[in-house]
Amino acid sequence: MAEACQIVRKQDLPPPGGYRPIPFKRIPAKSYFSGLTWIAGYIGMTTVSAYLYYLNCKQVKKAKIEMRSAKMAIYPMLLAERDREYMKQLRRNRDAEAELMRNVPGWEVGTYYGERVYKLVPPDALVEPIFHEFYAHSDPSAWVDRTELKLRS
Amino acid sequence: MSISPFLRSPFTDITGGLVSHQMLGKCQKEEMRYMDCLEAYGLERGRKKCAYLIEDFQECQTNTKQFKRFMAMRKERERQIAEGTLTGDKKYVTPRIDSY
Repeated sequence: MAEACQIVRKQDLPPPGGYRPIPFKRIPAKSYFSGLTWIAGYIGMTTVSAYLYYLNCKQVKKAKIEMRSAKMAIYPMLLAERDREYMKQLRRNRDAEAELMRNVPGWEVGTYYGERVYKLVPPDALVEPIFHEFYAHSDPSAWVDRTELKLRS
Repeated sequence: MSISPFLRSPFTDITGGLVSHQMLGKCQKEEMRYMDCLEAYGLERGRKKCAYLIEDFQECQTNTKQFKRFMAMRKERERQIAEGTLTGDKKYVTPRIDSY
């Protein structure tokens, strides 16, 4: 078989003069500051930022107090406005009921076919309506909105 | 109505107030009045004598009459709208927001 394989083969060998040395020594990162400087910088920066935080805290606290005072100042007015609107709506409801049930036989305003809701309260006492009754004459979409709000809150 | 006269123990005495309106309930006054009335007349005669008190208490408890009123008014309004009597702005009287 020697005459079938006439190619001259080249063997892998080290380059002349041998291989370069392998760099196995550890190269540490360059240090810009010493340990003590790092600690001093950390403490200094923390002190400055703590002071800034204190200033900010004071400001936020002041703003909160102001907002709370404003809310407390405005709360009675909002309550009064709500109550006023409630009473006005009661009157509007009464008028709407009188207008609506004019032709229904036996119906009196504020009663169920002439039967009083509460028998023993004085006639001029306010009987507070239930939710449905308050919204009895309303647009169904308004009723739905209010109900959803109630269920969510 | 509680079971206490038939079955009375310290537990029913302690928990008696829980199933009534007497713990600052909505119908505290009505309940007390009709209970007093029933105590004075007994159940049989009380049914007749305290009828209004009992009715007021039941109304306070269940709001049935107010709900029936609402149903009647809603039905009438829907009837009038379907009939064509109420049109446009006169259809509904909607409360302003945040009024209830």
